Amino acid sequence: MRTMDAIRRSGVGVRPDQTVREAAVLMEQTGVGSLAVIDGNRVVGMVTDRDLVRRAMARDLSPEARVDGVMSTPVVTIPADADLHDAFALFRDHAVRRLAVVNGEHFVGTITIDDLLVDLAADLGDLVRPITAETIFGHHDSAPPATR
Amino acid sequence: MQASVGDRIVIKGHRVGEPERDGEVIEILGSDGEPPYVVRWGDTGHESWFFPGSDASVQHFEHSS
Repeated sequence: MRTMDAIRRSGVGVRPDQTVREAAVLMEQTGVGSLAVIDGNRVVGMVTDRDLVRRAMARDLSPEARVDGVMSTPVVTIPADADLHDAFALFRDHAVRRLAVVNGEHFVGTITIDDLLVDLAADLGDLVRPITAETIFGHHDSAPPATR
Repeated sequence: MQASVGDRIVIKGHRVGEPERDGEVIEILGSDGEPPYVVRWGDTGHESWFFPGSDASVQHFEHSS
């Protein structure tokens, strides 16, 4: 599976000069927990709801402060057509909870650990279902092949 | 996904009871109506770049030329 096919939610981006207040309002209005900070076409940071709490509210930062002052950098990126297993490796190696998915240098979306866990849980459910049925209902052998 | 200026973007709720979100496309940044879009959200007029995923749909409207 390609990484871009595992993206579950739309991506929302802001300019570096938009304010912390705007970032918070946009999170509320679009239902996302993180925003890509985009300069030109390039993603230069990610700002999360956690960033707003820890780096803005807890430090009494003005709501009119620029969002690039509270964003998380550097951004760990993954190509949109990369195999999803590459995303697993990046999460493991960089200890982040989200990756910016890019097409060339252009941001196209965000993939999170939650997205991967949901897919994994569904896959595990598919694998466990026949075993569960066998445990509950017993094993049904097919008829042996006819012998001469 | 393809959109035109003035179209409505709808993001479905991700959890039970979560409302849909919607906004108006005010600028097309891709070619031939492709994303990304600049979208104005709700009634506060805040704008963002928008990169639609599988949770989003576009409602087209007839545009007078």
